[in-house]
Formats: sequence, structure tokens, C-alpha cells
Amino acid sequence: MTTVTANLPFVRLSPVLVEIPMSAREDMRVSARVYADGELWPKVTMDHSLDQVVNVSTLPGVTGYVYAMPDVHEGYGFPVGGVAAFKASEGIVSPGGVGYDINCGVRLLASELRASACHDKIESLVHDLSRSIPSGMGRGGALPLSDTELDRVLGEGCSLLVDRGLAGDDDLPTIEANGSFSAADPSAVSVRAKNRGRNQLGTLGSGNHFVEVQVVEEVFDELAAAIFGLRKGQLTVLIHTGSRGLGHQVCTDYVRLMDTAMSRYGIQLPDRELACTPFTSTEGKAYFGAMCAAANFAFCNRQVITHTARRVFERVLGSQGQLRIVYDVAHNMAKLEEHEQELVVVHRKGATRAFGPGHPETPEPYRRVGQPVFIPGSMGTASYVLAGTEKAMRASFGSACHGAGRAMSRRAAKRIKPGSQVRKDLEARGIVVRCPRTPELAEEAPHAYKDVDAVVDVVHRAGLARKVARLIPLGVVKA
Amino acid sequence: MGALFAEAGSALSQLLLRGAAASRDDRVREIMVSSPDREALLVDWLNEILYVAETECWVPVQFDVVEISETSVRARIRGVPVREAPSLVKATTHHRLQVEEVEGVLQGEVIFDL
Repeated sequence: MTTVTANLPFVRLSPVLVEIPMSAREDMRVSARVYADGELWPKVTMDHSLDQVVNVSTLPGVTGYVYAMPDVHEGYGFPVGGVAAFKASEGIVSPGGVGYDINCGVRLLASELRASACHDKIESLVHDLSRSIPSGMGRGGALPLSDTELDRVLGEGCSLLVDRGLAGDDDLPTIEANGSFSAADPSAVSVRAKNRGRNQLGTLGSGNHFVEVQVVEEVFDELAAAIFGLRKGQLTVLIHTGSRGLGHQVCTDYVRLMDTAMSRYGIQLPDRELACTPFTSTEGKAYFGAMCAAANFAFCNRQVITHTARRVFERVLGSQGQLRIVYDVAHNMAKLEEHEQELVVVHRKGATRAFGPGHPETPEPYRRVGQPVFIPGSMGTASYVLAGTEKAMRASFGSACHGAGRAMSRRAAKRIKPGSQVRKDLEARGIVVRCPRTPELAEEAPHAYKDVDAVVDVVHRAGLARKVARLIPLGVVKA
Repeated sequence: MGALFAEAGSALSQLLLRGAAASRDDRVREIMVSSPDREALLVDWLNEILYVAETECWVPVQFDVVEISETSVRARIRGVPVREAPSLVKATTHHRLQVEEVEGVLQGEVIFDL
């Protein structure tokens, strides 16, 4: 396969870390660091993702290093799997650095049941989840919202759902930021964005979003697993979705607004999709408020799906089918954080926050071992639970990867194997598949992604997060 | 340029309908889009079509461009009602965006977020 990344000079600093020095291109303001071992390096240089990493390093106020996680691949403007921090006082904020699906993220639910004890119920569970969780954009939401309710979702996040009986009091502490970003400003979200989101709360969406029924196959760190409430053989559910059309419209709106406003701030870009303005500017503040509001919508979306999943588990498994939230973490966000005694806006696009032990933003019960980090694999492959580390705070602004990372385009994946064959392959391995559009299975097939075991191995060896448990799928629900 | 925009709209509508047969209704509506430049106009035009399709369950399929300049377009559109709003395409991006004349023919290239 041809390497298309521009001829960038690089230095290998360790078996899992490569540096692209600031001298690689004259407009770089900081150096870039790429987490990849010898096996993954050829894969991360197959597309333009490293050119995009370099582009990000040219943005005003960028500080430290721009990081690429081992699952990095080409995105729009910023690469997916990219982490960059900008000084809050003089740096920028960029919608492209967050992505279209604001607060796309992952939530892990754990039952108290052993998967082997309900083996004959897995098909019923997956089938009922598929029927009960609206997947596509047009099937309507599980929770239609009035204007006032939508504004409360955007402004308050999951706390509103406690009032509505869709979340328990003990759910909120196990969600990043307690399921509510206080900087949210519903008034900064356009009517168009609200119109797109109004009937989408509690829906899964298309693309790579899914709900999986899984089993804990292996535990690597007994202490952390026990603290997270996980044990070998346990039945779990992983939810991967985000802010749906509402978040997409917020991104679309602000890319255009910033694209128009940039010249007033003297910002010139190597790529228009990097549109940005200073964080302290009128446009920057408005975007941050709108983005946090969209993120609250995403937390609520995963919460309503959780509520639906709980009802399904109770229906199929009875009173033993209770589901507890292990954690819920975003992987498309910009957050105001303090690193190295400096207030910075950390952009994580396709990257998971991975705060180490003792951090005050990690839920108290988990603080001893570090924040839970979830790395879903591609459809039909393993997912991982990891724990954030102290080293990550210095080595990646407290971040780890977010998945396996695409290795080829959707079109290329379809050429290799049709969806019908992908479905047969999964079913042959005993995985129950519910996906109404078989051709789409081909786009998300395992061969379209990097090897999640190899990606997580680099994260673990680099010390960005340490492996706690490996989960394998029993059933998958897709749009 | 009007032909390019009409063609781009048709291409998007085919993606949204995923090849499903659908009957056009009698509605004719007008859409207007303004943008800072020609490339942005193409992105905003396609995003407008996406917005109409998603929020109204009505996929525009026929585009009669009435007025067009480098920074604005006005068109009359006809469409087909759909039971489910299209879910394949979520946004039009600026990634590798190009509108250029090649051997006397205007060509545009956009990448959609799926």
C-alpha cells in the first residue's frame, strides 16, 4: 500500500512513540507526538492523518505537543484520534477539533449476572434491544421534547432525567462531569440544531454507533476491575452514540460562523475545516456554550437508551436483570482543564479523557485506581476497559485512544467483503446481529479497522492507560 | 454553475434515498442560501438539502436553479415524502472541498460526514 503522508521527518523516541519535530514544517508552532509501535506505524502513515496533526500544530495558542493516538486516522481538519491543547488566554477553540458528533462517547453498563447463566436469553435480549431502541433518524425518539424541555436537556443535562424517572440519583456520579456541563448555553444553539434534535433523544443513530451485549472475557487488573465492579464472565452492555443531528448542526453552524469571522482575528489556516476563533472571542464563547449544550444532549441520549436497556433486561431476565452504570465517557469534546499549572482548552477528537488516580474529576469510588476508559473495538471484536494513569497527565494531556481506528474507507471495506458475508461470519462465531441494512455491516466490518488488541497494547505500553479487562461481544445492535 | 448545483443536489438525493423507489408529490418550494464564497455556497446548499430532508421527511430530488451567483443561490425544488428521515449523510464538510473549472467544465468535489 502506498504511503500518502507527506515526507515528514520524524524521530522514534521509544518503541511506542514517534516525534515529528517542530522543524518538519516552517509553520509548526510545537512538535507533534504519535503513539505507534513498529506494527502500527505503517498504518498511521497510510492516509493524511499525520499531515493533519502537523496542520493542528500551526494553530494559534497551541501548547505542549499535538498528540496522535495509536488509532489515529484521517478526519475533517483535525485527525480522528488527535489531542491538542490551546492556552485559554490566547489560544483558539475549533469545532473541527471536536468533530461533528459532539460528545460521541461510550457508556458501559454491568449486570450482576454471569453470561453463562443466561446464555439462552441472549438472542431475546438483542432482539428486544433492537426493537426498543430507535436506531435511525426518522423513527422518532424514545422521548419527544417540547421547546422548554429541550432547553432544559441542553442546559441541565442528565439531572433533568432524574426528575423524569429516567435516571437514578446514583447514576449521575458515574457519568463524566455528572452528566452535565455547567458551561452549556442553550441560547447559543440554533433553532435548526434544536429542530434536528427534538425527536432524537434516546435514538442510536447510524454509522459506527451500536449497542453491544458483551461478556467480560479476561481481567488483567484484579484490583481496578473489582473497584469498577467488573469480574470475569459478567454480562455487560456497551452503548456507543452521541449528540445525533443536533450536535452535527451545532458543528456545521459554528464552522461557518468561524470560517467567516477568522479574518477579523488575523487567523490563516492550512485547511478550511480547521476554522477557529480565539477561545475568549464572542464566537469562541458562543461555540463553547453551544458545544457543552450539545454534549449535555448526548449524555441524556445515552441515559435514555440506558433506561430502555434496563426495561429490556428486566423484561427478559426478571428482577436479576438490573444494570448499573460503570462509567460514561466522551471521546469528542473540548474541555477547559488545568495542565502543568496552565488553563488550557483540550480538544479530544476521537480520543478519550484518561485522568489518573487521585484526580478530583474522577468519581470518588474510582479515584484510587484512575478514571475508567473504554475502548470499543470494531463490530464483532473485543472491547477494553482501562484505567487512566498519572503518566497520561504529562504525556497526552490525560488522554488515551477511543477505538480501533479505521484502516480503510467504507467503500474499500465493501469491496473486500459484502455485508451478507460479514453477517454470516459474525453469526458463525455465535454473535447475534441485529442490523436492518445488511450492506452497512460491510462498512463497519472488522477488516475495515485496525486491530484493537494492537492499538490498546500501545496505549498500555506507553503508560497512557493500563488494561483492566477485555470484553467480547455476544450480540450487536446497529442502525 | 447552476447546473453544477442541481447535479450536486441530485447526487445527494440519490444517496439519501439509497436507491429506493419513491413518488414525487406536488409540492414545490423555494430555498435560498447565501455564503461567503463559491465553495462555501456548495457546502451550505447541500447542508440545506440535508436539513429539509431530515426535519421534514421530504427528500428534494429536482432542482430548478432560478438565480445563482458566487455567494447566493435561489432554487425551486420538488421532492419525495419518505416514511423515515434519511440517516446516511449527516453533514457536508469542507474537507478537500473543491470547485474548479476543468477544460471548460465546472466541477465540484465535497466529502460528506456519514
